[in-house]
Amino acid sequence: MKYTQIERAVQERMRPGHITALGLLGDDQRPVADIMQADSEAFSRLGMDFDQVADLLEHLRSAGQDGLGEPITVDNRYLVSTGDARGVLPCPWNDGVHHKNAITVQDQRSGRTIIYSDLSIHLLRVHHFCQGKGSPFRLDPDTLAAIL
Amino acid sequence: MSSAINPVILFFASIFTSNILLSNFLGTCSFISISKDWKSSFGLGMAVTFVLTITAAISWLVLTYVVIPLDIEYLSFIIFIIVVAAVVQILEMIIDRASPALYMSLGIFLPLITVNCAILGAILFMQIRQYNFIQTVFFATGSGIGWWLAILLLAAIRERIEKNPVPAGLKGAGITMITIGFMAMAFIGFSGMIAVQ
Amino acid sequence: MIDFLYGPLITAGLAAGLALVIVVLDAIVNNYGDVKIDINEGQRSYTVRGGANLLGTMAAEGVFVPSACGGRGSCGACKVRVLSDVGPHLPTELPYLSAEEVTQNVRLACQIKLKKDIAIELAEELFSVKKFQSTVSSIKTITHDIKEAVFRLDNPGEIEFMAGQYVQLVVPPYGTFKESVQRAYSMSSKPGDRQAVELLIRLVPGGIATTWVHQFLKEGDRVELVGPFGEFHVRDTTAAMVCVAGGSGMAPFKSMFYDILQNSSYPEKEIWYFFGARSGRDMFYLDELRQLETLLPRFHFVPALSEPSSDDKWTGETGLITDVLERFLKERIGTAKGLEGYLCGSPGMINACTTVMTRNGINLEKIYYDKFA
Repeated sequence: MKYTQIERAVQERMRPGHITALGLLGDDQRPVADIMQADSEAFSRLGMDFDQVADLLEHLRSAGQDGLGEPITVDNRYLVSTGDARGVLPCPWNDGVHHKNAITVQDQRSGRTIIYSDLSIHLLRVHHFCQGKGSPFRLDPDTLAAIL
Repeated sequence: MSSAINPVILFFASIFTSNILLSNFLGTCSFISISKDWKSSFGLGMAVTFVLTITAAISWLVLTYVVIPLDIEYLSFIIFIIVVAAVVQILEMIIDRASPALYMSLGIFLPLITVNCAILGAILFMQIRQYNFIQTVFFATGSGIGWWLAILLLAAIRERIEKNPVPAGLKGAGITMITIGFMAMAFIGFSGMIAVQ
Repeated sequence: MIDFLYGPLITAGLAAGLALVIVVLDAIVNNYGDVKIDINEGQRSYTVRGGANLLGTMAAEGVFVPSACGGRGSCGACKVRVLSDVGPHLPTELPYLSAEEVTQNVRLACQIKLKKDIAIELAEELFSVKKFQSTVSSIKTITHDIKEAVFRLDNPGEIEFMAGQYVQLVVPPYGTFKESVQRAYSMSSKPGDRQAVELLIRLVPGGIATTWVHQFLKEGDRVELVGPFGEFHVRDTTAAMVCVAGGSGMAPFKSMFYDILQNSSYPEKEIWYFFGARSGRDMFYLDELRQLETLLPRFHFVPALSEPSSDDKWTGETGLITDVLERFLKERIGTAKGLEGYLCGSPGMINACTTVMTRNGINLEKIYYDKFA
């Protein structure tokens, strides 16, 4: 598959050291379009909707922010901690910047953990991109299904 | 046996009646991929016109004063490619220094053009049809503008297609190919008005 | 016989000729000669070689504009206002600039290539910023995710700063990372201890700098620091200080309080310090700060746990720090001499505390914090 200029630029910006130190692709060697295709299929298989999941992640984030940087129990089930850093991260599709933060959600019921940021929520909602396998901020559809 | 066609007629002919893209299908790879986006199409079209004019003129000089006298026309392909690559490099440096604004709008497209077949295609037409220098410049500029026009038209059409329901199997490249086919047929309507030889 | 070589040789000669033209042109076109940088309309000026970016060129001259990414255009921190014409904003700059900044010609110093004389505006305090070579003299584990690192300054050997300011830690490439980055941390050491800088660093998941400090940095390592930066410091008034922090937000306050103790400065200032954590394992410096209360009677320490676990045997305040703060503002803290708010934490924490403070009579202009984002 031949990339367009835009796809190539997006893929380039997702590599380590461009937007984030670790990059958004992890050790995933597949083209971005293939990653998105596979995750979209997983989303429909699991009966999840990108917007709904993004809403939930935003809910957990706002509830977690009440902890003011310290971990806090949300909905009697999740242990959420939010950490903020200086600065902003641009979206690799160049449609805006997002505050730099990390939200860690530990689900006490399933024992699974996800880490995400404002940028991750935007990538999920607008671009339907869950990040590559091996990226610490990957929102894996199966893990999401188990947690949410 | 030099072609005797009037340069001005050649200029308009290469825009409309023998559009390098829609009648010769040269430079289609970037044509299809870049035309997704109107702004990029505009930039790329401008860059193609610019580079095509300059490389064709320089290639004509190289052809007339180096290749033909030394009788190495069998190597002209390679020589043209080297010339195109070098000229693009040089242009990039000069534009960066002289006009940052122009550099920004041409920016990423300049290196991309090195591998655009419309450039080499036009240069080879120039060689085969034995144009003189004036004809070469008019033909190259016309071909560039023709390419520019075609990609802008396609970008505009694709923006409209985006908003309309397209059968799933035809989305993306499929409907684009069909669109280009229609456009080419429309341009065929012009052909025969002037014979470019 | 060698006729067949004739064509290829000419072609190669042609290619070599064109390559030569490119090299010569490159030397002419990309030689920008000497360029003058004028800062604050004549306050300082430097004559430098052109061609490189403004950020790096100024750093080489000893003027350090804060930058987190080290000049790759990915943090948007190195903003400077350019007074002369340096061409339109680049697409690489625009995502980081507000509409107002664009009209004021605020630019990212790392994206501006020095091609001709340039005039810029810089905050004066940046002139006292230096780059320090240092050696890690100790790293202590304070909680499960916070480390206290002390850097002994080698060259220059001393730092002058106000309690509350921060430094940038230069993280060298490590592991799979190929590029150096810089991150800002508030100094927790006293300004009186000029030969060393102490930082509190909390591990952030996926964080490049914090991971490096927590897993790679060892005692004896050589590290670069750039600073001091920041506007966060104790105001010289008689109003009481109401300080709120959590986690590594402890750092600037530790510096301020011990500085006040050492110099007996601002003798009329009452100090209230609210420190929030989730449970016992996130709480630290309890004994030190309780001891400080006895040494400095006008200092009041209020630690609070939001979700104490049963083994913590916690007898202090419980609840979110904002709720504890509100209770104290309403019931305990006297407002006779006026109040000032001092905050260190995330934007969310600052917003929440600002709301509580303004609701309880602290003027918005009297609430100080280091702008985090």
